[in-house]
Amino acid sequence: MTFSSLERPPLRRAELGTNFTEAMALRSISRRFGSRVLSYRSSSVASLHSHATSFGFQQVKEEEKSKLVGNVFTNVASSYDIMNDVMSGGLHRLWKERLVGKLSPFAGMKHLDVAGGTGDVAFRIFDAVNSVKRRALRKVDEDSLEETQIYVCDINPNMLNVGKQRAAERGLGDNKALVWVEGDAEALSFDDNSMDGYTIAFGIRNVTHIEKALAEAYRVLKRGGRFLCLELSHVDIPVFKDVYDLYSFKVIPNLGELIAGDRESYQYLVESVRRFPPQEKFATMIADAGFEKVEYENLVGGVVAIHSAIKL
Amino acid sequence: MYRTAARRLLGAGFTTSRLLRLPKPRPTTTIIPYSYCTSSMESPIGNQSVNPNQSDPTAAREEGHRRDESRKPRAEFQEEQARVLAASLRHVPRLGWTEEAMIAGSREVGVSPSIVGSFSRKEAALVEYFMDECLQLLIDRVDSGLDLQNLIPSERVSKLVRIRLEMQIPYMSKWPQALSIQAHPVNVPTSFKQRAMLVDEIWHTVGDGASDLDWYVKRTVLGGVYSATEIYMLTDDSPAEYRDTWAFLDDRVKDAFDLKKSIQEAKYFAQDIGAGVGKSFQGLMNGVMQTMSTRGGRSSAF
Repeated sequence: MTFSSLERPPLRRAELGTNFTEAMALRSISRRFGSRVLSYRSSSVASLHSHATSFGFQQVKEEEKSKLVGNVFTNVASSYDIMNDVMSGGLHRLWKERLVGKLSPFAGMKHLDVAGGTGDVAFRIFDAVNSVKRRALRKVDEDSLEETQIYVCDINPNMLNVGKQRAAERGLGDNKALVWVEGDAEALSFDDNSMDGYTIAFGIRNVTHIEKALAEAYRVLKRGGRFLCLELSHVDIPVFKDVYDLYSFKVIPNLGELIAGDRESYQYLVESVRRFPPQEKFATMIADAGFEKVEYENLVGGVVAIHSAIKL
Repeated sequence: MYRTAARRLLGAGFTTSRLLRLPKPRPTTTIIPYSYCTSSMESPIGNQSVNPNQSDPTAAREEGHRRDESRKPRAEFQEEQARVLAASLRHVPRLGWTEEAMIAGSREVGVSPSIVGSFSRKEAALVEYFMDECLQLLIDRVDSGLDLQNLIPSERVSKLVRIRLEMQIPYMSKWPQALSIQAHPVNVPTSFKQRAMLVDEIWHTVGDGASDLDWYVKRTVLGGVYSATEIYMLTDDSPAEYRDTWAFLDDRVKDAFDLKKSIQEAKYFAQDIGAGVGKSFQGLMNGVMQTMSTRGGRSSAF
């Protein structure tokens, strides 16, 4: 199981209003009674609104969520990579490789990676493009000698800083191809029809309004551009589902406490995975945003799903 | 093959944009998806079976239209893909059957090259599109009045194979690459189907009056002749536009027809011998039976 470093842990108690304490009370009651009925009831109201007003099994005000989400990463950026590796057993790397493989980057591409703070996906795309370019050097068309541009957009500047640091370590600090931009997935600062590719890996669960993020993705993509989303998703296989649930609710929060000293974050994380729409529903949402040829691929039986679509 | 037969059965009302499964007395019943149709065609994923006896082409067309309405988004992608692949073919002689050619093609059409990443089995998509195009061109040539009346069957076959192979001449320098792409295990099912369709189409045009086993034999033999000629063409440097290749083709086709004749002769021969042997065996058995019955009846037989 993997949880991306971009997962937002819940807020510090002091920063939250009554919503949080209510929700916390509700949650502790439900845990004591060993049932999730109470917490589901509180979230049944939320099911009338957009999914994104939930924060795990909590309810927070819409306006507050993006601010809170922005704050959260400030504290925890550094331990995310380690937690990713531990929780997924290193599998998250393979999943990102698969995502980039599906994208098939090409030289001269303009690509946007949203919620890609630490640069995992962006670096992989950069490597892919450069090796392709070297191999096809003789056959490169005169027109496609424009430079590749990979924009990494993230709402949190600290995550971007970590990414810039990693780029410097790889010797790409001054490379013009990688551009680090601070921005919100629901209100991108890029022009219409300017991107060949758009990826979002383990980030779409955190946006307040998923439909807005999808609409923005549609706006910035060129005609023929591809949308790819890598996200934790739902498992349906009978026995495996139970194993996965056990792992999620029993093991992950303990790992979080042990390694990152933050049990709440990972409790929230596991709950938010369950609240995210299942594969088919999310595919419908993507199609509603205007995309064509919407497909999804389950990895590890549905623990992770890659949704892909094209703007035509 | 389904297309030409359908056209003949349903006449003018039939539009070639649907793939219909017809109840023909054929051993194979695969529906072969024309995924790479030209832009004038729409999404071909219809599994409707049409009963030729009902012959109501307008109804079929209307139903088809209704189906297409609901499939519009899917059809758009197929159209775009076809358009990109068609444009890419122009770059193949220079760039080969590669992603670069398709990227160049997509740029020509005005679509982001990212779309190439969504084609399944990318280079194979281009090759398969080309094969479908050539088959369609062949069918069109035949329909628009190709004169085959005055030719004997073996010459008709030669002519059709020649027409088809001539379509590959502009890409001859990169054709070995296309062949290797088609031979890749992932791509073999599709390329095999396309070749089977081609061979079937040629036999259909020549005038197929085959019975069961013969149908397979004919297609297999022609498939072999076609492939052999195709490969011969790769290394043919003869002066007047592949003159040697056509001579090779004529020889192989004649051999095939001779082979067919020899198989027929062998069959008759075997029948005759079998008859002779059978007769004498039967005579023996008759004698035995008679002897047993007369002995049973106590009458003295010979």
